[in-house]
Amino acid sequence: MAAQMAATKVPEVRDITRIERIGAHSHIRGLGLDDALEPRQVSQGMVGQLASRRAAGLILEMIKDGHIAGRAVLIAGQPGTGKTAIAMGIAQSLGQDTPFTAIAGSEIFSLEMSKTEALSQAFRKAIGVRIKEETEIIEGEVVEIQIDRPATGTGAKVGKLTLKTTEMETIYDLGSKMIESLSKERVQAGDVITIDKATGKITKLGRSFTRARDYDAMGAQTQFVQCPEGELQKRKEVVHTVSLHEIDVINSRTQGFLALFSGDTGEIKSEVREQINAKVSEWREEGKAEIIPGVLFIDEVHMLDIECFSFLNRALESDLSPVLIMATNRGITRIRGTNYQSPHGIPIDMLDRLLIIATSPYTEKETRQILKIRCEEEDVELSEEAHTVLTRIGLETSLRYAIQLISTAGLVCRKRRGTEVQVEDIKRVYSLFLDESRSSQYMKEYQDSFLFNETQGTQMETS
Amino acid sequence: MLPWLHVSRQIIRSQRWFFKMAVIMLQSWSDSLKEAKKTALLQDGKRKVHYLFSDGKEMVEEYDVKTDDLTVRKWRKKSTLGAQGPWEVEVGDTSPVLTSEPHVIMESSSNPVLMRKDTKTSFQWRVRNLPYPKEVYSISVEPEERCCVIRTTNKKYYKKFSIPDLDRCRLPLESSALSFSHANSTLIVSYQKPREIVSLEQDLLRELKKIKATSEGDTDCRTQ
Repeated sequence: MAAQMAATKVPEVRDITRIERIGAHSHIRGLGLDDALEPRQVSQGMVGQLASRRAAGLILEMIKDGHIAGRAVLIAGQPGTGKTAIAMGIAQSLGQDTPFTAIAGSEIFSLEMSKTEALSQAFRKAIGVRIKEETEIIEGEVVEIQIDRPATGTGAKVGKLTLKTTEMETIYDLGSKMIESLSKERVQAGDVITIDKATGKITKLGRSFTRARDYDAMGAQTQFVQCPEGELQKRKEVVHTVSLHEIDVINSRTQGFLALFSGDTGEIKSEVREQINAKVSEWREEGKAEIIPGVLFIDEVHMLDIECFSFLNRALESDLSPVLIMATNRGITRIRGTNYQSPHGIPIDMLDRLLIIATSPYTEKETRQILKIRCEEEDVELSEEAHTVLTRIGLETSLRYAIQLISTAGLVCRKRRGTEVQVEDIKRVYSLFLDESRSSQYMKEYQDSFLFNETQGTQMETS
Repeated sequence: MLPWLHVSRQIIRSQRWFFKMAVIMLQSWSDSLKEAKKTALLQDGKRKVHYLFSDGKEMVEEYDVKTDDLTVRKWRKKSTLGAQGPWEVEVGDTSPVLTSEPHVIMESSSNPVLMRKDTKTSFQWRVRNLPYPKEVYSISVEPEERCCVIRTTNKKYYKKFSIPDLDRCRLPLESSALSFSHANSTLIVSYQKPREIVSLEQDLLRELKKIKATSEGDTDCRTQ
């Protein structure tokens, strides 16, 4: 019966728009606060951590306000207590226009550029400039769309689009990307559309008045607009947000022939940066541009060394600096690059500048709730007992391990053609995959039979 | 003194002021041309001149060596953010350079194309791919918008274009200077060049011939 069902199942039609994969934090949609910034117990993918979420909500207000520059926040807590989730929640609630740059502490150690250069680039990526620029748009009423598919069925589609205004008519050749977005927007003859010539973005303005008498099935929200006048191509001022780093890159790229080969930016000269800072503040005074300070999130901040911290100290004092959010799961540990111990591996002078948000381990109820949300996100159905077992595993080993088991148990269940994950499936994957503590246990028992055990040296330093 | 006389004198005065201003404007464009850094290059029977103006704009002109006709004039300026913009063709062939990268949207080659090609005595625009009969077209001058407009009664083609040469010298647009003809599915619009422009161009050409032109193609461009 089940086999028959599987055989007759129509292959799922994949939507082109949903190409994101399910990541560790893709269930987070916001901080889960109400209007008074009071945290709801379960909301927007967030569970528990009420005090930290409320604190993050206050920080969020400060960022949205945009007046205060160069504040730094540290989210500290044990592994798997939702530090990155809170940062992601902030990012999600900021909206489109506020820049949010996330890097990991170890990302800045590159051979191609110095640590401080990597940090300054990250800083400048997190500052947005909203500015008017002139772009060319095409605005007209669609007369005809003609899309030719190649006879063989494969290969690029060829398309023509005829647009008109009250004065003229023009035929355009379409690229394959354009054809796709036209069909995605469901553009048809009689629609009035604008196309951004550089990016190819299509905006539907409505239907032409001349088509108002068509007895087509139309939604109630269909708007009727006049056919545009004059020329099809117009120059229009549009407001968009670019980051300071993007302006840096535009202005520092080697000119001419060499630009073809130097794809990456490399180091940006400090003169260029100064010039751009001056230019931007000039624009701001003239009212041409608006500065939107964003957020720079540095995960695993204990991986930064003492040089980076002193650079951060200095960089935070600039008025063109974003709000810095850092996260760490370390306790008192060595500051990288020194022999000193310090809380979170961060020097005391840096710590002094920080607002510290602490996260605490999840309770049983919260763990249960998170696992439920993850099951929904990963599209796995869990029986009540399996859920209880998984919650216990989550409490005794770690939340991350329990989350890992969801998709694997889901696969085991699907292989035995079940619809709901049972306790047996959980048991199966629990025995197949070791968690961290069982693995360490195993190591201790069988260490002698592993390679290189004869040179019993000092323990590897991991801090 | 009679009031009307007073008024008319004021008009005369203001007209005089206008002409004075026009001369000053004319002066300022020719001055900025003089001040611009120029590099000349003789190549394929063309004299190519590159201008770099004090505001960062670049202009390239190409003259036929034999006839001294202007064949190409194009401009390039930096965008607000500092990025190098594309060349914008003012005179000469406007057909886009074919690139290997896939285009998003492009005008079909069967559409009417406007390009400017000047003669010694007039500005001239040619619109190719216009198969309609001559009666369809009407061409007018819009003095307040400072542009000329081509209209078609069958609503197939419409184009507003300005005459940058006149704008730069702040000269007025005259509808009497405009004429057009149609042949071989090409519409040709001509605008008689005013005296000031003709003399300015002659001066410029004389000036350009004085610049020592390099004949080698791969020498560094000093103005760039």
